[in-house]
Amino acid sequence: MALYIVEADCISCGDCEPVCPTNSITEGSIVFKIDKKTCTECEGDFDVPQCVKVCPIDNCILPLEA
Amino acid sequence: MNSQAISRELALRIGLAARALPDTDAKRLLSVLTDCIDLPITEEKIAGINLKTLKTAKAGELSGVDDPLLTHALSILKSGLIAHAGVVQERQVYADGDMPGSVRIACASNDAINVDGHFGSCNQFMVYQVSAEEARLIDIRCTDIPDGLEVDDKNVFRAELIQDCQVLYIASVGGPAAAKIVKLGIHPMKLPGIETIADIISQLQTVIAGTPPPWLAKVMGIEATDRFRFEREATG
Repeated sequence: MALYIVEADCISCGDCEPVCPTNSITEGSIVFKIDKKTCTECEGDFDVPQCVKVCPIDNCILPLEA
Repeated sequence: MNSQAISRELALRIGLAARALPDTDAKRLLSVLTDCIDLPITEEKIAGINLKTLKTAKAGELSGVDDPLLTHALSILKSGLIAHAGVVQERQVYADGDMPGSVRIACASNDAINVDGHFGSCNQFMVYQVSAEEARLIDIRCTDIPDGLEVDDKNVFRAELIQDCQVLYIASVGGPAAAKIVKLGIHPMKLPGIETIADIISQLQTVIAGTPPPWLAKVMGIEATDRFRFEREATG
C-alpha cells in the first residue's frame, strides 16, 4: 500500500516533501518520488494522505496498483 | 538646482523609477544619477548606466536595495530609449506549426517590457511563441473588458484571454485566481521579483534546449518515449 507521483505531471514544487509523516518523499533526479517501501498513505497518522492534500496538481499523486 | 534642463519625459521617468525603489524620492535618485553621470543628464548617458554603477554610485547610496528592484528602476529609466531605438514591440506573424518544439507563454505586463503585472490588474498579456532557437511576439492582449460584455468573474475572463497559452508568467497572483488559471490548463509561474520579458524568454529557451522538466515536455507535446530518453540520460 503506497502512493506514487506521476512524473509527467509533477512540477517539482516540493510542497509534499515536508508534510510526509514517514519521510518517504525525496527529490529524485527528474521529479520528486515516494519510497513505496515506507509510504503508508498516512494511515495511522492522518485521515487523508498529506501529500495529496497539499499537491497543487490534480491526479499527480495516485495509489500504486497492488 | 541646476540650469541644465532635462526633458519633461526624462524627468517623468526618473520620478517613476524613484517610486519603484523603497524609501526613494526623485531627489534621492537624481542625486545618485548625477553621481553616476555628469550633468546634464541625457538619454544617451542613462543608457550607459548598469546595475553595478547604480549600486556603487554616491558611496553605495542604493547598495542596500534588492537587485530586482534596481533592475526594474533602470528599465523604467531606459524605457523611452527602447522606444526611440525602434525596438518597439511589434507583433510577428505566426501560424500553427511554424515553430516545432515550442511553447506559448503569456507575460502579465503593464509596461510591455517587464513581467511586472499582477494577474488581476495588469494592463495586458504579452503572448510569445518560444522555441529553443527563436521567440516571436504573436499577440498583445488587452485586459479591458469590452463595453457591454457582462463578466461574472474578472479572473476567469482574464484566464480565458490566454487559454491558448501553456505557461503564464506573473509578478503576483492570488490563490483563487491561480486555481482558475490551472483549471484552464495554464501553468502559472509567479516570479520572485520583477524580471524583463527578454530575460524570462532566454531562461526558458535554455530550459527548452536542455532537458525540459517532464511537465513542460508534456505541454510542449514531446512524446513520452522521447521523455523517457531524457530520463535515461539524466539518471544514467
